[in-house]
Amino acid sequence: MIHDFGIVWSERALLLAGLANTAILSALSAVAALLLGFGLAPALMSKQPAVSWTTRGFVDGMRCVPFLLFAYIVYYGFPTFGVRLDNWTTGLAALTIYNAAYMAEILRGAWVAQPREPIEAGIAFGFSEIRLFRRIILPPLLLSAGPVIGNQMIQIIKDSAFLTIIALPELTHAASSIQSRHYVPFAAFITAVFLYWGLCLVIEAGVSSIGRVADARR
Amino acid sequence: MSGGDIAAIFQGAIVTMALSFTGILIGLPIGLGLALIRWANVPFLAAIVTIYVSMLRATPLVTLLLLLFFALPNIGVPIDPVSAAILGLVMNTSAFNCEVWRSALMNFPRDQYEAAQSVGMRAGQRFRRIVLPQIILVSLPGLVNEMSLLIKVTPVLAVVGVVDITRAAVRIGAETYEPLPPFLVAVALYVPIVFALVSLQRWIERRQMAAEAVA
Amino acid sequence: MAAFSKVLDVAGVSKRFGDLEVLSDVSFTVDKGETVCVLGPSGSGKSTLLRCINWLEQPDAGQIYLNGSRVGINSAGTVMSDRDLSQIRTRIGMVFQHFALWPHLTVLQNLMEAPVQVQRRPKAAVRDEALALLAKVGLSEKRDAFPAKLSGGQKQRVGIARALAMRPDLLLFDEPTSALDPELVGEVLVVMRELAREGMTMVIVTHEMGFAREAATRVLFMDHGRAVETGSPQQFFSNPETERAQQFLQRYAGDIAAMRR
Repeated sequence: MIHDFGIVWSERALLLAGLANTAILSALSAVAALLLGFGLAPALMSKQPAVSWTTRGFVDGMRCVPFLLFAYIVYYGFPTFGVRLDNWTTGLAALTIYNAAYMAEILRGAWVAQPREPIEAGIAFGFSEIRLFRRIILPPLLLSAGPVIGNQMIQIIKDSAFLTIIALPELTHAASSIQSRHYVPFAAFITAVFLYWGLCLVIEAGVSSIGRVADARR
Repeated sequence: MSGGDIAAIFQGAIVTMALSFTGILIGLPIGLGLALIRWANVPFLAAIVTIYVSMLRATPLVTLLLLLFFALPNIGVPIDPVSAAILGLVMNTSAFNCEVWRSALMNFPRDQYEAAQSVGMRAGQRFRRIVLPQIILVSLPGLVNEMSLLIKVTPVLAVVGVVDITRAAVRIGAETYEPLPPFLVAVALYVPIVFALVSLQRWIERRQMAAEAVA
Repeated sequence: MAAFSKVLDVAGVSKRFGDLEVLSDVSFTVDKGETVCVLGPSGSGKSTLLRCINWLEQPDAGQIYLNGSRVGINSAGTVMSDRDLSQIRTRIGMVFQHFALWPHLTVLQNLMEAPVQVQRRPKAAVRDEALALLAKVGLSEKRDAFPAKLSGGQKQRVGIARALAMRPDLLLFDEPTSALDPELVGEVLVVMRELAREGMTMVIVTHEMGFAREAATRVLFMDHGRAVETGSPQQFFSNPETERAQQFLQRYAGDIAAMRR
């Protein structure tokens, strides 16, 4: 068994590259999904039925579709529309589009729960447009949505593992590769499990500190 | 895609459902047990449960299944694909359920428990007659949510070679060189199932809120 | 022109919400240094009137002038842009019923935020002024606290200091003590009374009759969206002219009597 772990250690470059891919892919798609979410959330709450209904359809649709299937559809579907991307970009696109729906729902929920009066005070004091959004609306919104967004990030990290199916060299794929070449499945996958755990602990620590910042202001 | 292909996908769907429900059924009481261990703060065990739950919630199901399917035989425990799938589903679902049950337990009103104590109920009775019925109700939305999430990860069972909707779709795609349509059919099967669960969850939440409003 | 001697000139303001006419042809003026208390039963449109003054609500008809400048409508006759409204609003301070402090900022930051961000005043000078205002309302030691940790009375005093930090021409109070526990009302009224004494121009919507009686220079009585009666507090409280004002005061006197029993 020690010997097995020795083999995994000798392949650590591959494993770390996989970890880096997982981390970078997840971080990029989380940020992109959040930004898209900021665009979708107002559409969700739009007074025009055409806009709100289509957005609601998209958001609920993504909630009901398994990510693995969605990734496959993006992977096989894009070329049908003439979009030819490499696996990495396809994976990123699938993760981003899928999670944009979740982020939109999270932001909508956080917005609905926000008290209106401090925002009205902002308007009364002459804040408008971008300044109002950046300094008065956004900070409390992010503070209250922090934990839920953090959970979604953990979900993104786990969903990224599905992308091994479209041969994206993320962490699970790296562990699989080591396993199939050296026949050290336990050592390889347990190491991967601990690395995933480590990533999530980092995010949970981040969420805790946001939570503490929020609690001081609650 | 022929009728036979569609039948193959439907057969995969049945396998998915069977595996999912088995995983859910076994995972529910195990999750409750784990939650109780943490809530009662059993020394040493509670710490193990905490770490176990934390690790399992951080592990993608793909990775867990690969670990179980390939690694267990490696360390001397032979296992077939179906058992590996069920074991993985149970481990995963019990860890998530644990958090739902735990939240219900922690938010359980202390005075009700004390009232039960004051009329002389013993621990077992207190739990069975006072605590359990109520936390089942409170946990319901969270548990149904977990069920819908579980259904959504079952496509990954293709990875361990268990015939599943996805697996059937992949096979058909490989045979017909038209990968997209089978996946769309697979999605068409999954979406209503998950949607039904999500709707069920919303309905339960609405009824509970209405009950609270009247109370 | 007559308009320029008044800080606030409200003429013929009307507003409906759907079928309900909330304000009907309301007109009044406020001179510099006046403290006008707007009284009336619930639903009389007092708050809506106040919120029209700084265009938080848009009136359906009428004109509003702040020191001669038109509020809400630009020189072309169309509704003002956000930017222009923002300019006018910096000259009108507002104190809210539920305090409306910004929860993610400390007390001091709450005071400094708008003067720095909107009025573009230099930070150091704003800070000094903010500290002085906090001292004035008796909350110097709370300057680094977050609003969530303050009592209602403290929050409202911060709200008043925050409005003053903008150096406004006019201060609007929207039922400033209605959301406070009775024992916390006093500390806020003390601050308001002091402001009145110092000559701040204020329009106060309130239910605090005792305060109106002592501190107001003028009382405006509203009922069902109309400005029914206006006059000095002495005149209004001892000798109301209209029947509706009389009914309103009778009920108030009845409440006082019931409390004394």
